[in-house]
Parts: sequence; C-alpha cells; structure tokens
Amino acid sequence: MTGPAISVENLRFSYGDLEAVKGIGFEVQPGEILGFLGPNGAGKSTTIKMLTGQLTPKSGVARVLGIDVSTDDPALQARIGVCFEEKNLYLNMSAKENLDFYASLFGIKDPDSIEVLRRVGLADRAKDRVKTFSKGMRQRMMISRAFINKPDVLFLDEPTDGLDPVTSASIRKTIREEAERGAAVLLTTHDMFEADELSDRVAFINEGRIVALDTAENLKLKYGTRSVKVRLRDGVGVREEVLPLDGDGSSAKLAELAASPDLMTIHTEEATLDQIFIQLTGRGLEG
Amino acid sequence: MSLSRIWKVLRKDLALGPRSSIFLWAIVLPFALTLILQVAFGSLFDPKPRLGIVDDGDSSITAAIEDMDGIELTLFDDAGELKTQVEANDLDAGLILPQGFDDEVRDGEQPTLQFFIGGESYASNRIILTVTAIDLVREIEGSDAPVTVDVVSFGEAGLPMSKRLIPVIVFYALVMAGLFVPGSNLVEEKEQGTLMSLLVTPVKSSEVLIAKWLLGVILSVVLASASLALNGAFGANWAQVLVVILVAGALSSVLGILAGVYAKDSSIMFAIVKGSGIFLFAPTLFYIFPEWPQWIAKLFPLYWIIEPIWQVSVMGEGLSTVWVELLVALGITAVLGAAAWWLAKRMQAQMAGQ
Repeated sequence: MTGPAISVENLRFSYGDLEAVKGIGFEVQPGEILGFLGPNGAGKSTTIKMLTGQLTPKSGVARVLGIDVSTDDPALQARIGVCFEEKNLYLNMSAKENLDFYASLFGIKDPDSIEVLRRVGLADRAKDRVKTFSKGMRQRMMISRAFINKPDVLFLDEPTDGLDPVTSASIRKTIREEAERGAAVLLTTHDMFEADELSDRVAFINEGRIVALDTAENLKLKYGTRSVKVRLRDGVGVREEVLPLDGDGSSAKLAELAASPDLMTIHTEEATLDQIFIQLTGRGLEG
Repeated sequence: MSLSRIWKVLRKDLALGPRSSIFLWAIVLPFALTLILQVAFGSLFDPKPRLGIVDDGDSSITAAIEDMDGIELTLFDDAGELKTQVEANDLDAGLILPQGFDDEVRDGEQPTLQFFIGGESYASNRIILTVTAIDLVREIEGSDAPVTVDVVSFGEAGLPMSKRLIPVIVFYALVMAGLFVPGSNLVEEKEQGTLMSLLVTPVKSSEVLIAKWLLGVILSVVLASASLALNGAFGANWAQVLVVILVAGALSSVLGILAGVYAKDSSIMFAIVKGSGIFLFAPTLFYIFPEWPQWIAKLFPLYWIIEPIWQVSVMGEGLSTVWVELLVALGITAVLGAAAWWLAKRMQAQMAGQ
C-alpha cells in the first residue's frame, strides 16, 4: 500500500436533524498516529463509526486502505482493529477465550493469544474470566483484542479514559509499538497530554468540524506564545516574571534577568494543546 | 455470507450456553414440567407389573404375555431363581408353566399352576397379573369368560390428561429454547456492546442473526424431542416426528430473533415474552379442552407447529396429514425472517448511534 491508510474528504453525518460531522477531511499515513482531539460530542466517535463501517456517511468519501467505507466490504474489517470507548468484552469468557474467538473471526487458525496478552501484561490472567478483571485490566484486554489480527489500521476511541497513570502509560507504549510496526492509528481523545505525547499529528475537532490539523509542535508555534517564566528572590519572598520572547527588547531583558544575583529558576512557558484549543474554539476540551 | 463465520459465532454461543442462567433454565424447564405434570396426571412413577415365567414347554401364555405392552416380562430357566426374585420383590409375581401345560388344559386335566405373588407388590399389579393369567388359561381351554363386563368410564372421554398435556410441555420446550434463548442472547449482546464488537470484524449482522437462529433451532429440536420421548410420544415414526419438530423449531426461533432484534434491552425482551405469552400459549389450551371450538386455535401462529406435533407424535399420523400446517408454518417463518432481516438493519444503525 503506497497511498494513505485513511483518506477522508468532505465527510458528513447527521443523527436526525443534528449534524454531528460537518464536512471533515484528513489523511493518515501508514505508521502515523493522528490524534483526534475534541470535547465530548465534537464528532470524534461518529467519525470512527463511519470509518469502521458502523455508520453510513450521509455524504463525502472515506477510504480505509483504499476501500470505500460505505461499501460494507468484509475485506475492510479484516484489516482493521477497533478499540471502543465502551468495554464490550465477553465477560463469561476467559481472556484467552475472548482473543481466540475474535482471532477465529479473522480467519486466524493458531492465534498467539498468550503473546498478545503478554504485551498488555495479562498473560498470567489468560485463563481467568474477564468478569473478574478490574477496569484497567479490561481496558488492556480491549487493546489486545484490537491487535489480535495485526491490523493495518487501528481505531482507538479514548483508549486510556479513566485509567490510572501507570496503566495509561503501558497502553500508550503498546500503541506506539503498533505504529512502529507500520499500522496507521486514529486515536480519539480529550486528553491533551495523551494526544501531545502519542500523536505525530493532531486534529482539533469541534462541533463536527476540524478547526486545526498539524503536528503538536507546529500548532504550538502557530497559536501559542513563546515565553519564559523567571523566579527571583524578592526580600524574604519570591517574585515571578513572565517574559515574552517575541517582543522588542526581550533578549536584552532576559539577559539582564539571567545575570541577576536574585535569579532562582528560569522555565520555558510553552502553550498547551488545551490552551490552543480554547483559543481556537472558545471552549475547553473537557465536557 | 460465510458459513464458517456463522459456525464460529454459533459455536461460541453453544460454548457459553452452560454459563448462562437463561440457557440452563430453558433446558431444565421442560423436564421439570414433565415431572410435575406426570406426577399430577400421568404414570411416570407407576411401574408396569413385573412378571417372571419359567416355561418348560413353549406355552402360548408366554408368547401372549411377551406381546403385551403393559406387562414387564422376565423369563427364567430355574424355578428357584424365580422364587428368589419374587421374594426379594424384584418381581410382582412368578409363574411356572410345566411341560405340556397347554395340552393338559385343553384336555381338561386341570393341571396345577404355580403362581407366586410378591408380598410387597402393589395390589393393582397383583390383580392385573392374576386376571391376565386366568384369562390366558381360559383362552387355551377355549372357553368364554363366565361374565360379561360392562365398562363404564367416569370423567371425560378421549385421551388421558397426561397425553393432552403433551402440547403444553412441548410448547414450553419450544418457547424457552427456541424463542427465549436466542432472543435474550441477542439482547444481551446488544446490552454488553459485544454485538457491535462483532460487527467491526468480518462478521456481518446477517451472519450473527443466522447463528442465533440456528442456536434456537438446535436447542428447541433437542428439548422438544427429549420432552416427547419422556412423555412416551416420540413414537415409532421418529423421522417424521423429527421433521415436524424441526419446522416448529424454525418458527419459534425466528420469533425469538424478531423479538431480540426489536428489544433494546432485557426488560423490553421480558415484556415482549410476557405480553405475548398468552397469545403464544393459547393453542395448547385447545388440546387440554377438546370441546372448545377448534377453529379458534388456528388464529394463533403456534397452532401451525403444535398441531403437526400433536398429529404425528401423539396421534401417530403421517406427514401427509399435516402438510398444509407445515407449509403454513414455513410460510410464517419466511415472513418473520424477512421482517427480522429488515429490522436488523435499523438495529445496527440504532446501536451505532447510541
């Protein structure tokens, strides 16, 4: 496959009168992680549902691995992996039984389910029923299920939502490994830290529209302000100064502060994706 | 459509079945009903009279008893062994037929007939065995019974209640296994979101529905067959009984799929089953109360599967008697199947939209 793994042009979808996705377009290359960043109800999950064949687009064109998603072609589902936000596992089956079953649906005869479980740290619980698993373990199971067919495209809907930092870090590491293997990853999240850390590029989606799409660094450069925060001793207290780096005379002022005997610390003040999102949309990423 | 994927989903459902309380209940219910109704109306625990015979001379009495369904016959070579078993209450009675017994009776020589009765045997069994033995001796002698017995039946005429309740038991087997198991299984998959996880694999919604339908057909055929066998109604024409049960399983299971596709959650599924219960159950009442106008039963969909089962398994008729009913049942199955197919498309869009 030489072209983009995911190609979307002017995609639209409505729930009755409510237009949830309003003509979005983007591409994801093999091995690339695209972070879809937006608040709840922005259209992230609806986009994933269209790209995975669960919903039929009202208009526009979406191709995954060159296959038009509206054709309901099983060849598409055979090459994708989906991790839902909702933890939809067979609770009365063991972890291994779950993976073996899904592998069989992809036509995999001898799945190495134990190895897949080992990647997410669940190999020692392979024979335990999923209903005995904690929330974090179930989420790791969801990730492992999405990987079972070694997909060329991964759709991950809020893969670390509500998890503890250790489990989240473990899941992020596994996602990165999949991208390194060559899988294109479309990751929806409202966690700007996750998007920043994982994504090669970030798309901001708000009210069904993509309002910005670029690398996180470029977005910060384009929409953020370059500044440093300087902390100085001030008598018995501490004084803080924020110094824009792009203003006239900022270099001289920074040099002066750096030479001051009262200088305690200097920190770069980089804009966060959250701040940029607010700047672009007038609303936050949460809720 | 892939048969392989249908089989994989079906195999998963069969494997998960014993871990589901609804599945287990569906299996247990027809057997429990059989037990309860047979204890109340039937003869499940009434053993047949058990007779042992030592026949030294190929008596016609032995041959006649061998042909009787109502008596359990055991043949012995040794009179001592026969007596031991009667004394141990392993037999209700024992009969020793010496060589030339039949000839001596015919010649009017009044031979001695040794007839052992177990002291702990049921009085009813003793009477049956004694009267039967005396009647058979009279037949050898060629004489008629000294009295004419005028039999007057009390209660309703016709089949015994235990037979008339067979449609009720088979109905529960079909409804629980054929309707409720696949329907609730589908709803459970919707509620837990696992159905959506299946539909982002190469499995199509039509394949899932067919797998669930087959689950209902297999279960209902097994349980309806077992129910009929337990009630002594599987009959000699088992192949024809199997055909009518298969058609019944197909119709009841497609009803289950339709309910499962329509119901958004378990509470709606239960409401559908409870709400339609009397509508589905109604035709069985016409077998319990045969004096009711039978044409009314034909207004209910399950009549078209209960009637063939009744005619072929209980009444011993052939398929040629019920071909119209079977065709109507297959027609209803096809129409309901098409409706389920159409609703499934809507269901998928609704699930994705949630």
